[in-house]
Amino acid sequence: MIENAQLIGLSRQIALQRQMDVVANNVANINTTGFKSEQLLFEDYAMPVARDRDFRFADQGLSYTQDWATVHDLTAGPTVQTGNPLDLALSGEGFLAVQTPEGEQYTRAGSLQMDNSGTLVDLNGNPVLGQGGPMQFTPDETNLTIAPDGTVSTSEGVKGVLRLVEFDRPQDLARGGNNLFSGGTPRPATDTQVVQGSIEKSNVSGVSAMAEMIRVQRSYESVTNLMQRQDDLRRTAIQRLGDNNA
Amino acid sequence: MKALYIASTGMSAQERNVEVISNNIANMRTTGFKKQRAEFQDLLYQTHRRAGSTTSSQGSLVTAGIEIGSGVKTAATPRIMSQGNVNPTEKELDVAIRGEGFFMVAMPDGTTAYTRDGSFERDDTGQLVNVDGYAIQPGITIPGNASSVSIGADGTVEAFLDGTSTPTQIGQLQLARFVNKAGLESAGDNLFRETAASGPAQVGTPNSEGTGDLLQSYLELANVNSVTEIADLIAAQRAYEMNARVISGADEMMSATTQLR
Repeated sequence: MIENAQLIGLSRQIALQRQMDVVANNVANINTTGFKSEQLLFEDYAMPVARDRDFRFADQGLSYTQDWATVHDLTAGPTVQTGNPLDLALSGEGFLAVQTPEGEQYTRAGSLQMDNSGTLVDLNGNPVLGQGGPMQFTPDETNLTIAPDGTVSTSEGVKGVLRLVEFDRPQDLARGGNNLFSGGTPRPATDTQVVQGSIEKSNVSGVSAMAEMIRVQRSYESVTNLMQRQDDLRRTAIQRLGDNNA
Repeated sequence: MKALYIASTGMSAQERNVEVISNNIANMRTTGFKKQRAEFQDLLYQTHRRAGSTTSSQGSLVTAGIEIGSGVKTAATPRIMSQGNVNPTEKELDVAIRGEGFFMVAMPDGTTAYTRDGSFERDDTGQLVNVDGYAIQPGITIPGNASSVSIGADGTVEAFLDGTSTPTQIGQLQLARFVNKAGLESAGDNLFRETAASGPAQVGTPNSEGTGDLLQSYLELANVNSVTEIADLIAAQRAYEMNARVISGADEMMSATTQLR
């Protein structure tokens, strides 16, 4: 028979392992353009059935650890100047919209490219959307300029306005990898500016990620210790009881 | 526990990053070199609990789900095709491009390669060639009796023949440009090759159609900025160390588990 204390310890260990995965993913993406770090939230799960009412005082409810949600930390990452006209950083909470085979998705990674047909695309080749669809350029155009409000102009004049979106509830966004977010209810951005010639770095802070990792590691060890003690306790109990019977 | 594998993707990504940075630094003094930048993307996420799923018969929803990432990958190493500084050389067959175009080089296998390196020479027949001896297209032959070769901003090559006082046009340099310069394939030797991603070369005379103009007796330096490269190198090195630290942290957690009785 496994005792409740061990089961609770186990639930905490599983949650901590998962948190370690989250920390590892943040650290792995410490140099990823436009990456937003993740935090794991826990809640306790009160177990109403595991009670023994034979004692005079009823047992207290048991609380298991359960991971509840990963939240996107959407604070801005540092902006680095690159001087490349196709590098965009966004200041404010908005996202760039890109057209993917799975529909419109959103990104903060503004290192854009031009494909062989002259379409403005992201690093995966997905067209970056303007307010009237993908942005197209002819081979003769030079001097691509993107104004803070997203207006794109070249030597041929104004070509359109980038589709910038903001979200009332950004936590609804799902991560799809490739620096893309999907879902949510986008609305046209009101508070987002485009900075041309810069990119937004990852917002993972190395120091806090390391501190978090050490905390996870130490809590894991202390839970392990706790389970060890519990096991010792049981062993001793069995030995003593066994001796008495003999 | 995936942390070990996640951190290992982080380490290999930073390794790649350092490779790109060291190649940039190694080519700091390479004529016409265009620096690269490693771009990373997060890998797929594993959804344990989906945001927006229903949590009660009253229609309440999960406000934020559980998504566990699986690390990082190198998405691309695009070249930054910005203009490099031009440096005077006082050599008449050095040409720098100020603008978007590329010189065309006839390769021995019959194909055409493209370069920003305008340090040309003439070979034994007087033909204009690059430092490897490959002919520049369209072919220009400088006669043996020519002196004071001059190359105009629009690519016209003129020379004084036999000590005449009026210059004679002996050729016309042309430049190629691409819709997506960053999509060119690097062939080494300062050469690039056309790919499906770059689109076909559009040949035009310099000083028109956005090809850029030519500067005689100048060479284009690499567009590598040493300060940013060193800063990037430090950032990459620290990121590598942090990922290594995560691996040892995950390892200690696992060893704590194995010590359980």
